[in-house]
Amino acid sequence: MTRSPARYPARSMARLRLRYYAVQNVPLLLSLGLFVAMVILYIILFALKQSRLPGAFELLTTVNNTLSVGLSAIGQTFVVLTGGIDLSVGGIVDVTNSVAARYMGDSPGSIALVSLATLAVGAFAGLTNGLLVVYGRLQPIIVTLATLAIWEGIALLVLPQQGGSIPPALTAILAGTLPFLTWLPNSVIIAVLLVAGWQLLRSTPFLTGVYAIGNDERAARANGISVARAKLGASTLAGTCAGAAGLYFAAANTSGDATSGTPFTLTSIAAVVLGGVSLFGGRGSAIGSLAGAFILTLLLNVLFFAGVNTQLQEFFQGLFLILAVVASTLVRRSLQRAR
Amino acid sequence: MMNVNALRAERGTLLAFAAAIALVIVGGIYRPSFVQPENLATLLLLASFIGIAAAGQTFVVLIGGIDLSVPWVLNAMAILLTTTSLGQNDRAWWAVPLALGAGVLAGALNGLGIVLFDIPPVVMTLAMNGIMEGLVLGLTGGFTCGACNSYAPPAIVWLFTAKPIPGVANGLLLWALIAAGVGVVLSLTLLGRRIYALGNNPLATYLSGIDTRAVTVIVYALSGFFAAIAGFGLAAFGQQATLGMGDPFLFDSIAAVVIGGASILGGKGNYWGSVAGAIFLIVLRSVLQEYNIGEAGRSIASGVVILIALLLYGRQRAEF
Repeated sequence: MTRSPARYPARSMARLRLRYYAVQNVPLLLSLGLFVAMVILYIILFALKQSRLPGAFELLTTVNNTLSVGLSAIGQTFVVLTGGIDLSVGGIVDVTNSVAARYMGDSPGSIALVSLATLAVGAFAGLTNGLLVVYGRLQPIIVTLATLAIWEGIALLVLPQQGGSIPPALTAILAGTLPFLTWLPNSVIIAVLLVAGWQLLRSTPFLTGVYAIGNDERAARANGISVARAKLGASTLAGTCAGAAGLYFAAANTSGDATSGTPFTLTSIAAVVLGGVSLFGGRGSAIGSLAGAFILTLLLNVLFFAGVNTQLQEFFQGLFLILAVVASTLVRRSLQRAR
Repeated sequence: MMNVNALRAERGTLLAFAAAIALVIVGGIYRPSFVQPENLATLLLLASFIGIAAAGQTFVVLIGGIDLSVPWVLNAMAILLTTTSLGQNDRAWWAVPLALGAGVLAGALNGLGIVLFDIPPVVMTLAMNGIMEGLVLGLTGGFTCGACNSYAPPAIVWLFTAKPIPGVANGLLLWALIAAGVGVVLSLTLLGRRIYALGNNPLATYLSGIDTRAVTVIVYALSGFFAAIAGFGLAAFGQQATLGMGDPFLFDSIAAVVIGGASILGGKGNYWGSVAGAIFLIVLRSVLQEYNIGEAGRSIASGVVILIALLLYGRQRAEF
């Protein structure tokens, strides 16, 4: 601490910087590493079982199956970065899924209008959470538990029986491929656009404010950041993403179900945690959360090809979640000790 | 300061009891049979299952934690009880301690993960919920096993549903006993003092030489213990254990604690509030049912009630 950095030769300076970056980003690097490891493991097991490499079809189904969880996890990331949590994600997915399945017609106008409406419903739900947290001065975990019950109820009113219909055109756009690029699923393009969108947002004052209040709300406030605006923006974006997840889930399944969204609360949190976002706020990125969502899907695929009883799915997901957090904690501790 | 906090928790308890009584009157006006003693006793017995699970949740919330594993710990222990005892009293003497012990173990593992590896309580208990669900489904083959349809042992059924005192089910007496026990632990014992201290200021508690890790593990273990008892009660009430019987308890156990005026940040609240909250939730739902309001409406009403309770007495002080 007392030595000045100038005493170090340039190369070890670079190494120190790299080490500093690594220590700062342990969780994100671990989750990207885990993602790559899961992809490799999946390919190996797939090749062993099927005697061929996974191809365009496997890419399509894997990414399509992941994207709704991924979208809800990106939304969850905004709230978790502020130090909050959103348990209402499942309810918002329920309600937007039901709205899309019940009201969407086959005309392009109807598809566009109802798609926008589902996003608006999601945004409204998120904004409500934000208003209750900021101006009601309530705890996010308990506010969103209450709104979860409310949205679950409203979803049942919108779509009392599962069914409804999603126009094939929307399914083709969101879960199909472009006619001239059949090896590249549209869902991959959407995922890339989401990552690009996050990177654009990353340098805006809004997201800087979100990170700042997640790290130290008082200091952020003292530095002139509007805590209310950052929290309201984060929860509105979270709701919009959950709405997009509900829409995507309906399109991928070509029908709706007022209770199908319920697991999204848990999977979105699991994806965020596997993605290396700190639940204490201020650390992490939506790219990690998206990777976390893929890890969850790949884990199920790997278990399937490894011949594990599929009824043990939740057991392994839970165990995996704990092990990932423990590994991240242990690596961070040992790196901090080494410094 | 102390008085304000005490008053706040007290206000929650009183308001929840008052609201429950008002609802009973509303239900009675609509349908006089609603206020028959038998009906009220049944409602109280139903409330006791939420109340017992909420006892564990109260301990956890008081130290500033949260237990999202209640649904499947409860469900797993109810199924463990029925599948090991096979509905026979002469197997119950070891099946009951086995399932209770497994509940305590699951809770203690929650606590250990939280204190040893800094895993946030939300993540640890969420993962434990998944682990329990997966274990139940995997070990029972998706609940298709031969022993899966076994009945709860008669002794346990007697413990919760028999009425040696006319009109009063044993489950209510058990709940009263538990309430008294929890009340004594929280207000008269060293552990209780430490739980409130930990919830109010973990650092100060640690610095004053208290083993905060041990307190945390004990508290989560207690939550697993009470979840198991609630599972026994539910299995006794329905004769059998079923898949998903614990699902409503995630919401209900937390809702009862919050409606009763405890702060989700820890350190403030008491079990009497959770008792009132549990009774209020059940009365609210059955009154809505009397008015022919369906599942959707009851779910919306439960959520709105929590928000109202929070806005009445769950607000934090403004920061400037």
